[in-house]
Amino acid sequence: MAGRRPAPLLLSILLLAGCSRDAADKSLTIAVNAGVEGSTLKAAAHEWGELRSTRVDVVELPYANLFEKESLDLQSRTGAYDVIMLDDPWFPKLVAEGGLTQLPREPDGDFLASCLAVCRHPFGSKTFYALPYVGNSQLFFYRKDLFEKYKLGAPDRWENVLRAARTIGEREKIYGYVMRAAPGNPAVADFMPLLWAFGGDIFDARGQPNVASTEAIEALRFMIELGKSAPPGYAGFNADEVSAHLLQGTAAMSINWPAWIAAMDDPSKSKVPDKIEFAPMPSARAPGVAELGAWLLAVPVASSHRDAAFDFIYWATDARQMMQAAERGNPPTRRSVFQSPDLVKKFRAFPAQLAALEAARPRPRTPQWNEIENAFGVSLSQANSGAISPEVAMQQANREIADILDRNK
Amino acid sequence: MSAWQMTAVREMRKTRRIPPGLIWVAPALLVLATLSIYPLLYLIKVSLTDIHGFTIAHYARLFHDRSFGVAVGQTLLYASVALTLEFLLGLALALLVDSLARGRALIRVGILAPMLLPPVVAAVIWRLIYNPEFGVLNGMLRQLGFNTANLTWTSGRLTAMLSVILVDVWEWTPFFFLLLGAGLQAIPAEPIEAARVDGAGYWRTLMDVIMPLLKPTILLALLLRSMDLLRIFDQIFILTQGGPGSATETISLYIYRTAFRFSNFGYAAAMSFIALMITMLAARGLMRVMKLR
Repeated sequence: MAGRRPAPLLLSILLLAGCSRDAADKSLTIAVNAGVEGSTLKAAAHEWGELRSTRVDVVELPYANLFEKESLDLQSRTGAYDVIMLDDPWFPKLVAEGGLTQLPREPDGDFLASCLAVCRHPFGSKTFYALPYVGNSQLFFYRKDLFEKYKLGAPDRWENVLRAARTIGEREKIYGYVMRAAPGNPAVADFMPLLWAFGGDIFDARGQPNVASTEAIEALRFMIELGKSAPPGYAGFNADEVSAHLLQGTAAMSINWPAWIAAMDDPSKSKVPDKIEFAPMPSARAPGVAELGAWLLAVPVASSHRDAAFDFIYWATDARQMMQAAERGNPPTRRSVFQSPDLVKKFRAFPAQLAALEAARPRPRTPQWNEIENAFGVSLSQANSGAISPEVAMQQANREIADILDRNK
Repeated sequence: MSAWQMTAVREMRKTRRIPPGLIWVAPALLVLATLSIYPLLYLIKVSLTDIHGFTIAHYARLFHDRSFGVAVGQTLLYASVALTLEFLLGLALALLVDSLARGRALIRVGILAPMLLPPVVAAVIWRLIYNPEFGVLNGMLRQLGFNTANLTWTSGRLTAMLSVILVDVWEWTPFFFLLLGAGLQAIPAEPIEAARVDGAGYWRTLMDVIMPLLKPTILLALLLRSMDLLRIFDQIFILTQGGPGSATETISLYIYRTAFRFSNFGYAAAMSFIALMITMLAARGLMRVMKLR
């Protein structure tokens, strides 16, 4: 028996060595969005973990919960996450609360300017607190076959869009247009390109709320006019319903996000594969502008593995890795990746995506954006459901936005 | 006094100081203090604090916050309509099944099925059912010859509240059925037989004999359900997110947004405290009404 003792002893020593502090320290916890963007980062994270012999834990959270988990972690400085993936409108709030670490070096010039802009704090400064990982910006989806069939002009102006929606609706017996007008983010996201195209904006040059302006009211009137060509009940629609109508071939046009492009061309998901074309936002009085919705990577101040975390985010956003992420379905944030001939051949929407992304505008860079978007979205949704007039909706929204700003002075 | 007498007196004093019952309830009190009383006190503290220190600003804001007023009104509307429908349907089903001679167990399992689903799953199922274009409900109505062009259920300004209430009624009527059914089975047969011998018909027996004997069960069911209804969150979050506009916004939804989307924990705590007061008042009112009758 005595002769057999060294084996368990050796095993125990080896196990203890395996659990030593050094090995335990080589780990990274990453919070990602549960969706195509997050699964791409998840795959990259495991690859990085193997390369650096580091244990990687990826926490996938649905969009609605991701912000609250990250916000709570950053506020209470728990250090639960070493890297966080965040939607760009969340950035001003999270960075203003002092929860994010400044980048050790400036991002290179290959990143698109619109994507880099939302990683700076203060906005417009040269200080970076995040790196752009997913180059999301809205695109205009439309049925090219029906536009050709009825010889309709390109949907490059909103008045053409309205005319085409009425024509297609009457002749094809499908909905000419479909949009999101559920309260909060959905209604605001679909309204912003109209607001900007009609020459309006959320704030004026002095930073005061400006949604009761003539331009803004006119933009909302136009949205409601477009809504007459949309399926009934669109005032409660979110991305799922909009995309379901496009995929089923029951609607001809919509504003949508690049994550849905692959499904539109997939015959197992779409009844109209290859019939949908992707274009930049239509214009009106001002040139068409899409809303930016980039996903960023940042390192919380409380992370106890900052060096490894920065190593990972620079690695995940370099050109080689971004090529792989693009192959897996993520819109890139680098010009060189968008212009790669192989990828352009594979992803036909890349030129339109690049054009839209270059012209895209971020949502106002205020820490109160979530609250403002909610109040504004409720008014927009009420107007679209017919509960109140566009004038009343915009005056109500203007008042509420002013109250939010006053409360947070 | 001898030594043993002094020891006995000391023991008696000790026993008098710590009532024996207290030792037995101490673990439960500790759990209550940790899980309920401390969080409640902490909630009150947060509601009276901002970054500058003590404040009553959060409570003052409640008086002129239109959205909170709307949410309170809609929560009360939702709770009262759903509670009434669930109680009446649950009672009717319980009486019906109780009167059956055979097959009670099978029918009971069938009726209880919706309650066994997690509310989130039930809400997702109903979201698909309510879809105006592709949903089963409008599909069936179209088959029956109805024009469903403007029947948008959860997206309609007038139909949204009705739609979310119907989902609650579908899921939670079985709760009343279960409790009231158990209550009916516990009623002794003698008073009912005596009433019938005295010539009372079904309706008279129900109102004068069965209902008074069922009152404690009814009160318990109404109390438990009304507290749940006033806290409604999950179904509405999945079905409408409070929309269209704010047509289905409830207190819990508004508190959730204020705390976790806008990071305004002080105001959310003040609203939570008021919501707790509303729930307690509603429960107290309900108990008083039931006792009076």
